[in-house]
Amino acid sequence: MPFIEGKGKKLEVNEEGFLINPEEWNTEAAELLAREEEGIQKLTEDHWKVIHYIRGYYQEKKLAPMVRKVCKNTEFQLKYIYELFPSGPAKGACKVAGLPKPDGCV
Amino acid sequence: MNEEKKYQKDFFEDRIENIKAEDIRKALYVFHRKLSNQSAAYLNSCLHCGLCADSCHYYLSTGEIPSIPAYKLSLIEKIFKKHFTLLGKRAPGWVKAKDLTKDLLPEWIDSLFGRCTLCGRCSLNCSVGLNIAYLIRAARGALASVGLVPPGLQSTINTAILKGNSMALPREDWIETVEWLAEELRAEVNDPQAEIPLDRKGARLLYTVNPREPMFFPLSIVAVAKIFYAAGESWTLSSEDYDVTNYGFHSGDDNVAALISGRLVRSMEKLGTQDLVLAECGHGFNSNRWEAPEWLAKKYGFDVKSIIQIVADYIQKGRLKLDPSRNPEPVTLQDPCHLVRLGGIVEEQRYILKRAVARFIEMNPNREKNFCCGGGGGQLAMPRFAKRRLEAGKIKADQIKETEAKVVASPCHNCIDQLLELNKHFDLRVKIKTVAEIVADALVI
Repeated sequence: MPFIEGKGKKLEVNEEGFLINPEEWNTEAAELLAREEEGIQKLTEDHWKVIHYIRGYYQEKKLAPMVRKVCKNTEFQLKYIYELFPSGPAKGACKVAGLPKPDGCV
Repeated sequence: MNEEKKYQKDFFEDRIENIKAEDIRKALYVFHRKLSNQSAAYLNSCLHCGLCADSCHYYLSTGEIPSIPAYKLSLIEKIFKKHFTLLGKRAPGWVKAKDLTKDLLPEWIDSLFGRCTLCGRCSLNCSVGLNIAYLIRAARGALASVGLVPPGLQSTINTAILKGNSMALPREDWIETVEWLAEELRAEVNDPQAEIPLDRKGARLLYTVNPREPMFFPLSIVAVAKIFYAAGESWTLSSEDYDVTNYGFHSGDDNVAALISGRLVRSMEKLGTQDLVLAECGHGFNSNRWEAPEWLAKKYGFDVKSIIQIVADYIQKGRLKLDPSRNPEPVTLQDPCHLVRLGGIVEEQRYILKRAVARFIEMNPNREKNFCCGGGGGQLAMPRFAKRRLEAGKIKADQIKETEAKVVASPCHNCIDQLLELNKHFDLRVKIKTVAEIVADALVI
């Protein structure tokens, strides 16, 4: 399995850059995943709003939320979500929030 | 779920390690049952001429011998000869026949699941016309019968079986999403009466979606709804049994594939709709249009069409008014293998794009000779082969670059996802859209 490293942190990710051990996820892990995997240099308040919502939903239901739920709860427009996370909600936002890769065509 | 995924992975390695003689017997039995006389003849016919090598995006991108289609086929061929031919049984060394043993399984899995997208391009080059993808799928089915489908692909199948769709969308969230998208549509066409019908009995068309759309990329549904609105179509979505994907196709497990495709038949019967219309999805088209009636041993009482055929028909009949200048950037087209080479929908998407964009550029090669994007055959669901999948995508990336197009249209959500990754990996700087999205942008309402 590959690793990503930065700020003295070393994280194990799968072949597509999704975090292997969910217990390793924290603010720094999110920053590292964002930078190394998604090329997002700095996470803004709006990024965090999306990340925290996805993370909370996942912890409760063990599933990624549908993008409808993300928009409704963050009150962001759909297009803005894609601007925040150019790889989209799955390979962008869910990955940074430390979720495993969702099943299906993603 | 990460723990679960780790567990699945460990479990898979253990499963290979602990496979029993009776599992092997079962796999061989299933493989044998899947072979028709014709496919048995195929397995005796490979001339090992090697012409297929240059047809395969895996081989072309890396030059690795195990990626040559004839090599992949030879793995199946040796087993076939040993177990099912007289010469192979009596003089295995002479005809290179081999027992299916535990130590062969890792290579079977790596090769048949990890070096093939079931795209069928090798058959075009084959000097004797062998249907290699068909045989690889049959061998995958043998592995599937004893639990040897790589994790990710298997978990997607499990999700589809247990949750009713391949991404575990809860029914109420799907309904809420449709209502939300209907609002988007009303804003888009500026008509408070515009709607996205759900469970409308007796509508002419039942439209199905890839769960990836409502889950993460719902604008493609709005685009189709806008086209239906402009054409004045009688259509509906279904609140259940609406998933166009069928990952049982990729695993080669016909029983599972039948169960999943059977759901769309159930929806059609429940709603009494006339035609089943499939979203832009390559394997979903091949599965539901061509294979499913075989899997289900059932004659359908309705037509199965791709949305591409429907849109082409609207344009031809003058039901849509399009302004190509609204799509000013040059557009090229990715031909999904299962829709085009293996599905027979070849000209419709070209007919549409030529009328919806200012400049259309073909990739080279194209149509039935087009290369796979690299994401087919369930590859996107198997992270263990992700590196190889991206490498094999180089052929497609080079094709796209050569066109100098700024937009790649693809009538397949699976291709789109692979193309999104290629875009990033090979720095292509293109936009990737469904055909319906491009048409919706050109619509004059």
